[in-house]
Amino acid sequence: MEEGVLRVENLSKWFTIRRGLLAPPLTLRAVDNVSFELRRGEAVSLVGESGSGKTTLGKTVLRLYEPTSGRILFKGRDVTNLKGKELLWYKRETGLVQQDPYGAMPSFMTISRILEEPLIIHKIGTAEERKEAVFKALEDVRLTPVEDFAFKYPHMLSGGQLQRVAIARALILGPSFVVADEPVSMLDASVRIEILTLMRELQEKRGISFIYITHDLSTTRYFSEWIFIMYAGHLVEKAPTKELIREPQHPYTQALLAAIPDPDPENRKRYREVPPGEPPSLINPPPGCRFHPRCPYVMDVCRSEEPPVVEVKPGHYVKCWLYAKK
Amino acid sequence: MPEVILSVKDLCLYYATRRGVVKAVDKVSFDLRRGESLAIVGESGCGKTSLARAIIRLLPRNVHTFDGQLLLNGQDIMKLDDEEFRKEVRWRKISIVFQAAQNSLNPVLRVGFQIAEPLMIHNGMPREEALSEAKKYLRMVGVHESFAERYPFELSGGMKQRAVIAMALIMKPYVVILDEPTSALDVITQANIMNLLKSIKSETGISYIFITHDVALSSELADKVAVMYAGEIVELTESEEFYTSPKHPYAQKLMASVPTLRADKKLEFIPGTPPSLINPPPGCRFHPRCPYVMDVCRSEEPPVVEVKPGHYVKCWLYAKGG
Repeated sequence: MEEGVLRVENLSKWFTIRRGLLAPPLTLRAVDNVSFELRRGEAVSLVGESGSGKTTLGKTVLRLYEPTSGRILFKGRDVTNLKGKELLWYKRETGLVQQDPYGAMPSFMTISRILEEPLIIHKIGTAEERKEAVFKALEDVRLTPVEDFAFKYPHMLSGGQLQRVAIARALILGPSFVVADEPVSMLDASVRIEILTLMRELQEKRGISFIYITHDLSTTRYFSEWIFIMYAGHLVEKAPTKELIREPQHPYTQALLAAIPDPDPENRKRYREVPPGEPPSLINPPPGCRFHPRCPYVMDVCRSEEPPVVEVKPGHYVKCWLYAKK
Repeated sequence: MPEVILSVKDLCLYYATRRGVVKAVDKVSFDLRRGESLAIVGESGCGKTSLARAIIRLLPRNVHTFDGQLLLNGQDIMKLDDEEFRKEVRWRKISIVFQAAQNSLNPVLRVGFQIAEPLMIHNGMPREEALSEAKKYLRMVGVHESFAERYPFELSGGMKQRAVIAMALIMKPYVVILDEPTSALDVITQANIMNLLKSIKSETGISYIFITHDVALSSELADKVAVMYAGEIVELTESEEFYTSPKHPYAQKLMASVPTLRADKKLEFIPGTPPSLINPPPGCRFHPRCPYVMDVCRSEEPPVVEVKPGHYVKCWLYAKGG
């Protein structure tokens, strides 16, 4: 078995919401007690609805947010509390691709300057070497001829082209771990596949470990080895991609899969069995299992006690009372 | 076969911009029957939202050309002036559900009042009666009637979208245009809304024009599918036919790019980008990206060919002697 690159243990990220002078502050539990492992060269799809905490988890793991509790181990080192130069090392080893490429690029910089920036910050190479690295990076994401793109400004590029620049920027320091946060949700269907295919190629070629954050389960089977399902701050199911799609165990995962349309003309006669309601507030999550108010199989224990994580098959974990041994 | 409720013929909507005339909708024609839903599928910038705006005549100021024929129940509604159109057609006969529900609701008015407003304005219905009607419609879209007293910010995204749907239905229009009605929502909420739209359709026999960029989602509602590319409809057919054997090369590529959850398939993408609508390529607008491009495609506009009864494709590949 390949070595684990990233190991996350009981990670939580809570936000404090101040409500003025006298009212007590509220706590928003965006990520609550999450554990997982990521192996070298593997891609994980982190799937959840908006507000489930998936972006917060991604950013906390990258140390863009300070974790509230828990540990992050990267290449055997505890990076939870790294500071200064050592934190800079961790940043160099990691990368982020954001959802909105327009918002993620400074509009006053040329593409080549945007790509050079990380190299300057980390004091890598001479001006000449940096220029070479930038051109190479543009070539890798197939923005060719390179000279045509290097000196343009972000607004002159299409969304798909700009997302390639974002990928190039995330990879330019040669990271071994990258988080891509909804990298294609703002792009058109036909462009999405192109960008995801490119990302997958680069990831496999360079043996990068990848967390691909998405709300779209239908693309995960093509672009990742594992799927983690997140609901209201908890990881509720973790399994190999095909197994999760074939045999979803958690009632929430089953609902998510049932909600996804395939292009089939029979759909219009089909009534989809999906739970009513919407995900709970993270300020006052329901006690016990957070999915229990919407769960069709709810039992008494679900209402009061947090479910344990059960390994139903080797490598397939479910956080649900249905699978707990009595 | 039910009668044609809305017949669109050679509809054009061009915008004047500093860089030139944008041909957002260019000679679009289709028929919509009672109780039928037509999905209009295309990428962003293909003109699908402009088409919706042209049908319901909510136009921006920089209109260059607005032309063609719109027959609603046989009446040519293009001949109405703006005031007549507002009074007789918009909302009363054709209504629309926009993409982002929160932007269609007024944040300082109670939800129930906003739903009831068209009844008061168009029908002169007394306030109390209109409000109780609004509550009835809220129940119908699956929102508890107590929410009529609330303000939009107190509703979740899915509930707001349901309220907007209630608003679009309250005048009992013949046609509802759904412009990406679920694109801001999560998948489970989306499935709930699609379930709702299906049951409304089977109960009321209303007709939908369902605009979306999501091919898989379009199959949830479509009896017929029209594919739009660069301002034109390039394929129009029954949904059974479309989802199993699309004919236009663009439609085929689009279908091949749809990831399927349950079946393994090789995903494809369409190289290149959609053309500018100011200077579209001569001949067929898809020719620079088409894998089957021929000489004629580069210079002459393709004809619309009926490849099977009711299946129209605008492509030289299917033209006789072409």
